[in-house]
Amino acid sequence: MKRRWQCVAVIAALAWTLSGCETVRPWERGTLARPEMQLDPNVLLTDLYEQVYYSKEASRTGTRPAGAGCGCN
Amino acid sequence: MGCPCEFRFHAETEDAFLRAVEACLRETERFEKKYSRYLPDSVTTTINRSAGRTPVPIDRETASLLEYAAVCHEQSDGLFDITSGVFRHVWHRRRKTLPSRREREACIARVGWNKVQRSEGSVYLPLIGMELDFGGVVKEYAADAAALLARNAGIRHGLINLGGDICIVGSQPDGRPWPIGIVHPLHNASAIATVTLVEGALTTSGGYERFVEIEGHRYSHLIDPRTGWPVEGLSSVSVVADQAIVAGSIASIALLQRPADGLDWLERCGAPYLAIDPKLRCYGHLLDHVVDQEKNAKSSVLLKGNRCAPGERSMPK
Amino acid sequence: MKRRSPLAALTISAMSLPAFAATQPVESTVSVGLSNYREADVPQHLVAGGDHRRYDIDIRQFRLLTPIGRKWSLGLDLSQETMSGASPWATVAGPDGEPELIMSGATIDDSRTEASVSAAHYGDDYSVALGLTHSKEDDYEAIAPSLSGEWTFNDDLTTVSMGLSWSSDTIEPTDAARFGRVTREEKRSRSASIGVSQIIDRSSAVYAGFSVTDHAGYLSDPYKLRDVRPDERFEWALGVRYRRFLDFPNAAVHVDYRYYDDDWGIESHTLHTSWYQNVTASFQVVPNVRYYSQSAADFYRPVDDFTLAPDVEQSSDFRLSAYGAFTFGVKGVLQQPEWTVTISADRYLADEKYGLSSGVPHPAQLAFTLASVVFEVKF
Repeated sequence: MKRRWQCVAVIAALAWTLSGCETVRPWERGTLARPEMQLDPNVLLTDLYEQVYYSKEASRTGTRPAGAGCGCN
Repeated sequence: MGCPCEFRFHAETEDAFLRAVEACLRETERFEKKYSRYLPDSVTTTINRSAGRTPVPIDRETASLLEYAAVCHEQSDGLFDITSGVFRHVWHRRRKTLPSRREREACIARVGWNKVQRSEGSVYLPLIGMELDFGGVVKEYAADAAALLARNAGIRHGLINLGGDICIVGSQPDGRPWPIGIVHPLHNASAIATVTLVEGALTTSGGYERFVEIEGHRYSHLIDPRTGWPVEGLSSVSVVADQAIVAGSIASIALLQRPADGLDWLERCGAPYLAIDPKLRCYGHLLDHVVDQEKNAKSSVLLKGNRCAPGERSMPK
Repeated sequence: MKRRSPLAALTISAMSLPAFAATQPVESTVSVGLSNYREADVPQHLVAGGDHRRYDIDIRQFRLLTPIGRKWSLGLDLSQETMSGASPWATVAGPDGEPELIMSGATIDDSRTEASVSAAHYGDDYSVALGLTHSKEDDYEAIAPSLSGEWTFNDDLTTVSMGLSWSSDTIEPTDAARFGRVTREEKRSRSASIGVSQIIDRSSAVYAGFSVTDHAGYLSDPYKLRDVRPDERFEWALGVRYRRFLDFPNAAVHVDYRYYDDDWGIESHTLHTSWYQNVTASFQVVPNVRYYSQSAADFYRPVDDFTLAPDVEQSSDFRLSAYGAFTFGVKGVLQQPEWTVTISADRYLADEKYGLSSGVPHPAQLAFTLASVVFEVKF
């Protein structure tokens, strides 16, 4: 029951965030286009961290393909 | 481009700065060579010289510019017409009397986007004396292309001004937006308004730039292709959009109509604009930026219409 | 039907001009990364047998992303790891009842090579990508195709992304006959994800994603003396990622949270925050902290029980225990128009006391350092 509640809370928070969005015209997106504003500013490092955490922790915390080699132990 | 070119880039090193400037200059020169009406081997001249004779093969870039011009023509119900250049032959500066009806009708016969025959990879002007003029789209497109090159060359703070068509590449180095002065329709050394931008493009054009004076009356160089008469429209229109080419054609179409219709068109477009009518009344979403006339000339960039001046470059600090 | 606004009609037409028809990469990027991953040794007094030195891994990464024409891009990723060190074999009760490790006797030397290719196609408001990843170790091989797509709408303010991936893995343990290990086992995994990213205002954006994964086949660790796990596993995860730029300190803040749950009884929370501070126009310092906490798997045992029947589920793997972990890291990013150098250093510390759910001490609880340097060149 607790888990379902958490899920609902996250979705509600998300819906609330989206409803507050304003229109950002294309020419106002200079800041959003900065490299440090990207989801993953350095893809190589993101891949590396995901590989390390994936093989050393129980849960997949990234977007690596399921399985796909593990370098386990 | 026959107009002032200004590149203001902030780069980390002189080398990076020069590389970006060089790439942009090379690109603008390429457009000039390719589309100038005055160069004997340009694409424009080749197409015009073959009018009434033979279709001319064109590359993808030219084809997509023609397609863009077609969309402008359609959206403006025929006002924006890149075959309108023919009217220059009757409404020229040395003219002392108004053109006769026959003269105008002879022109109208050789004008009309709908007459242009386009096929995959070629274009054909079916009548001798027809002309294409890319002037209404290429300068803006060149500014867009230069902005893209600057961005790819690593410029994060820059301003490109090709004769009033301005593209912004990020804020000023200190994070402030670029202040852009919009020239006063009557006193072209001073600004009537200041617009601040961090991204996107702003173009300004006006009927005040070039005119013909006949029998004591000033006629604008902007001709309605359907009647052959100069348009008595808005004095100046500035439009902000994502691309200079889009801002430029919205502004041009606004100027080709009577003031009320032009304002109506601008409202329908929905892009931020500043329009000034012949009585110097200002309209538009950019209105809150209109400056006090006294302290006007302070803004860092002044749009000077199409007057010629040597290229200006600024160096990084 | 409502007619398009002139602005929209003109913009759409302009976007097909050669200079703009480019949401895909317009330049090629080559990145090269060199990293060292080093696990702290197991304290000698917790090792009942074997070598107490744990893994030391050198990682070399290469990445190429290049546009092909105006509508396509091609990506190539290669990575190679060489590892040496010992790994836990079994967990037994020590003289005072505390769990102690039996480590593999000799140093294991192995290498892993991963190659992946991807092709992406870009349309006006969408992109689709196909990828194939192949990973090979002495004893392990995996092949994983993937398919993903992205669609942007609402004035380009909203992007929906979807992804599917599959993986087919084969394990053939070394020295199988000598130690009575399985000789060849397989597992298959499938994963599906959906996400939405949304521009909130001119300086912030948020991403939310949901994914499900299932695994079937041999999911145990063949190198441990007794490690019996279910042959199926279902996982789901929900993630939220937030980006905000602050004009005053001239910095970007990243906050990523992920909730994970599976049918082995493991539930985890990951919170990762980074602060991208611009020091000069070309230099950034990025301190970051990651917190991770997980509960134990239902069949986790602190000490292996060899008295149970060999098919009873149990595992003493530290990965399946309840614990928490902090990673403290810092990156330096030097950015020039045509190249970027990133140097990073991270320290990871896991402990059952850091976790949100109560755990028992595990002698193999992990601590590692990870140092990397990445060069990126655009041309």
